[in-house]
Amino acid sequence: MTVTRGIWLALLTVTLVSASGMAAAHKASDSFLYLDNGPTELRIDVALRDLALLTSIDRNGDRQVSGQELRQARPEITRTVESALNFSNSSGNCDLAGKKWGISEHSDGFYSAARYAIQCPDGGPPRALEYNLLFEQDALHRGLVSLDYDGQTRLAALGPDSRTLDLTGTENPGYFSVFATFVYQGVIHLLIGLDHILFLLVLIIPATLSFPKNQVPSGRSRALRGRLLELAGIITAFTAAHSITLALAALDIVSLPIAWVETVIALSIGLAALNVAWPILGHKTWKLAFGFGLVHGFGFASVLGDLTSGVSGLAVALAGFNLGVELGQLALLVVGFPVLYYLGKKRVYQKGGVPVMLAAIGAISLFWVVQRAPLF
Amino acid sequence: MTCFNKPPGGRFSRCLGPVFSLPALRGRPFWLIATFAAFQAQAAPDPIITDFGVDQILTELPRSAAEVFRETDSPEEAGDRLQILITQARASGDPRYLGYAQTLVNRWPEEQLTDRLRVLRATLRQSLHQFDSARSDLERVISTSSDTQQRIQARLTLANLELVQGRYKEAEQHCRAFQSGYPGLIAQSCLASLQARTADPETAYRNLASQLADSIDRQPADSTSRLWAEGTLGNIAAQAGLPEAKVHWQRVVKATPNDLYVRAQLADWHLERGHFEQVLRLTQGFDAVDTLAVVRAIAMERMGHPGSNELNSRLRQRFEEARWRGALLHARDVARFELDIENQTEEALRLATKNWESQREPLDTRLLLRSALAAGDKVQYQRVRDWLNEQGQSDARYPEFKQ
Repeated sequence: MTVTRGIWLALLTVTLVSASGMAAAHKASDSFLYLDNGPTELRIDVALRDLALLTSIDRNGDRQVSGQELRQARPEITRTVESALNFSNSSGNCDLAGKKWGISEHSDGFYSAARYAIQCPDGGPPRALEYNLLFEQDALHRGLVSLDYDGQTRLAALGPDSRTLDLTGTENPGYFSVFATFVYQGVIHLLIGLDHILFLLVLIIPATLSFPKNQVPSGRSRALRGRLLELAGIITAFTAAHSITLALAALDIVSLPIAWVETVIALSIGLAALNVAWPILGHKTWKLAFGFGLVHGFGFASVLGDLTSGVSGLAVALAGFNLGVELGQLALLVVGFPVLYYLGKKRVYQKGGVPVMLAAIGAISLFWVVQRAPLF
Repeated sequence: MTCFNKPPGGRFSRCLGPVFSLPALRGRPFWLIATFAAFQAQAAPDPIITDFGVDQILTELPRSAAEVFRETDSPEEAGDRLQILITQARASGDPRYLGYAQTLVNRWPEEQLTDRLRVLRATLRQSLHQFDSARSDLERVISTSSDTQQRIQARLTLANLELVQGRYKEAEQHCRAFQSGYPGLIAQSCLASLQARTADPETAYRNLASQLADSIDRQPADSTSRLWAEGTLGNIAAQAGLPEAKVHWQRVVKATPNDLYVRAQLADWHLERGHFEQVLRLTQGFDAVDTLAVVRAIAMERMGHPGSNELNSRLRQRFEEARWRGALLHARDVARFELDIENQTEEALRLATKNWESQREPLDTRLLLRSALAAGDKVQYQRVRDWLNEQGQSDARYPEFKQ
């Protein structure tokens, strides 16, 4: 508190008890409640000085609390603190199972500190906390709550007029907003990530050609339906593959050096382009899409990792990001495929456009390989 | 980009950044998304110590905590206890006493409050920076009470409240009314403070000094009045830039070592002059009191004291916890800490501005001027200068005097 100037007139002065010269710092009375692990665990710290108002922690009355006195008072302390706490959810009130007890140090001295498992009747996490400690003794007492969700911390202060706390987290950016944010990020990343767009373009070129490159023309154009099916197969394979590796990498199950991943992604574009002209990697474009899709997934994961640091609900973010990437792909196809399909009927496209495009994409790909490879 | 305070020659450097604002704690719990580093510390509390020794003394307890909560029907007894608690809070800087006092006050229904309890409640409210409700309690006692003593105490308390808030017209009215009910050094101190802050500190100083000398010659004034006048003389002398400030404050500190207000003024005076050793001596053993601890921390930092980092980190933790709590009783001290230790000029300016909305004593005003200069906020700086011109207030401690 800030020091203030005040004066009692002589006629109003009362005899004063001299203020004791305590060494500990002065702060308002606060308890600290740390909720984590779901929250299924509670750590609660209560100042010894505050506990002295509620329990007999100074048995010999010498105005000092020794380690022995505190240990003796442990049952009374834990009973007092536990009875001032009430966790609940829809299945009823939850029990507190003591896990550890001792002391801790805060800016104004030692506190009694205890860790509990919070056990609700249905085995789920608690949804509400009611806190009633010390308010009858100190109207300015506060319960300072720190609530941890997946590395994200939220803080609250409970007082005599606000004794309950909703633990469901409706007041912070919920999962829906995290999801929506990452859908957006996924779309953006696909659309501005030229390498993924080029790879997709190369994959769909064969499906836009009237005659499959590797088949002897039978004199009839392939039906649109067949080409759309082929296209769907390619896109599905690519999507399935990069979803798998994106999840594996985002959840820290597999991790690859990002420089090599980027290099292989660049190389994949060139190889796919080459494969359109000379099918060295086989005729089944969907297999190619799946194989290189695995590598592209690691590329997406590195972007996602940069975005999710400090965000709770990684799984939600992952799902959102993935969906965003798919939506981006779909948007590209909806716009791009009809154009290429129309062009596919023109000889100049087949004989000139496609080779030029493939050559250009191949050149870009090689340039990126040289640029990205960690060898130079 | 980092901003350092006091650009040379009064030139402003642009240094504007996002201003984070704490929601006020009003009834409902509030959430803060802990995205800023200051709060990361609390996310991981210190581990629980289970192997503490049986002989270790863990804490010392204050004497009178338990008896506070004894039920009483007697407003006199409740009043005595309340007054002791408020005085203890003032003398120790320990806000827990204010909490106990608030508990005591809450037990008395509004319609059963006596005039004395109402004056005490106002004093408590002032300590908790609830200035408007304090004012309305005091005005009610002044206008309705039949108890002369309580009316006089209410006048004095209200005069001081208005003086602290920089409402000098209202303060003058209450000083004069107080003087007619209780003439003497305290009333003269009240009027001298006003004259100093609205006109001429040197004349105010000379007048009050001769009044104090007269009263000592004539008949020894009671020590409360005399020390109050000495403290006031120190304040006015410092405002006028007179070296006598030190002597007056030293007398008060010697007679009442627990007068934290005067102790802090004196420590600040030494700090401004670079007398770091004196600052350390005055603040020794008062780390618990925010105002004194911050002055000490600044002195330690400037003299390169080896204990500097340790004190800074303790204060940092204390202020983080206070922020978590959401109360801003400490805005002035935190602002100064942010300005002079942390070099967080924007945050210092934000807190100093907030503080100045309710408290406009010279050290509050100086803090805001310095913060505005450091943060390069011309608008805020000019706003304070305009207010000072309007009041006719000048102070040797304001930064423009040092250029």
